[in-house]
Amino acid sequence: MTEKTFPELRRKLTSGWWTSNRHYVQYMVREWTSLFVALFSLVYIYGLSLLATGSRSAFLNLLKSPAMIAFSFIALIFTLYHAVTWFYLLGQVVPVKIGKTTSKPWQALVANLVLLIIVSYLVIWLLVLR
Amino acid sequence: MVVLDALNYIKANLDGSLTYRWSCRMGVCGSCGANVDGTPKLTCASFLHEFKGRTINVEPLPNFPVIKDLVVNMEDFMRKLVKIKPWIIREKETPPEQGEYQQSAEELERYQQFSSCINCMLCYSACPIYGLNEKFLGPAATALAYRYIEDSRDQGKNVRFPIVHEMEGVWECTLVGECSVVCPKGVDPMLAIQKTKILGATNALRSILMPRGGR
Repeated sequence: MTEKTFPELRRKLTSGWWTSNRHYVQYMVREWTSLFVALFSLVYIYGLSLLATGSRSAFLNLLKSPAMIAFSFIALIFTLYHAVTWFYLLGQVVPVKIGKTTSKPWQALVANLVLLIIVSYLVIWLLVLR
Repeated sequence: MVVLDALNYIKANLDGSLTYRWSCRMGVCGSCGANVDGTPKLTCASFLHEFKGRTINVEPLPNFPVIKDLVVNMEDFMRKLVKIKPWIIREKETPPEQGEYQQSAEELERYQQFSSCINCMLCYSACPIYGLNEKFLGPAATALAYRYIEDSRDQGKNVRFPIVHEMEGVWECTLVGECSVVCPKGVDPMLAIQKTKILGATNALRSILMPRGGR
């Protein structure tokens, strides 16, 4: 008796696959926020190029413009979301082991955020406050 | 009562043609996986009281070709399991008379959770990367590869590294993390994949910095 074969169906992912579950949405938001990190970097590099070519007033005007302030605010929120999610993942992937206790992801998140604040303050102190 | 009991009831009383895989009924064999109410689960471990008063959909595992009803084709996964060479590789085998390869409790702990995989393929169903590209080595196969890479008795790093680090190996993973969420045995394939990435990256860096085989 010959075996009867049936066509097999491999269902394709639809473009809205990530809406089916909360974790997928969080993942998608995390990935999309990187776009704002990149955009902000580009705008900032442009601003710095203005400053480097001597047009200090153009740089300040760029920073003062309402559009730039609004954009910076949005970029800040998204960058923070991006940083928080990745710091948390860092704690999940490379937990620190001290003696018999292993660090929890939220501890890595807090430690990295504190480190970020310290480094940011040091940079501001070096460039501005000193 | 679990979803598997409901499926058995349907087969016995309502529609004898309903086709699905099952065996142990206690979350060990890994054969009864299905998409229960939109989430990949073992049907023997999904209690019906969780869905009380609702109608739920039980569908075949996503990302796999369907053969009939809840039965999917698992050939691709089986090929990947063999591909990563899931056995202890030694540079030189010693005869059994010379005794076993010994291992401390700490050394066992490094890989133990990754050896709990029951090949139920729920992680592949939860992985959108695998859904988009079936060539991706995927969560369970990488977790198993990592289980042997981390095993102190194994000496097959040079054999397994090219396999897990090829184009459709670990670097395809973008850290969705749902594989570890759906795993019924508490294995963390997401962690195994990232650890494998770290090992691969440090290994590559080491071979650039110390070309004459620094260890």
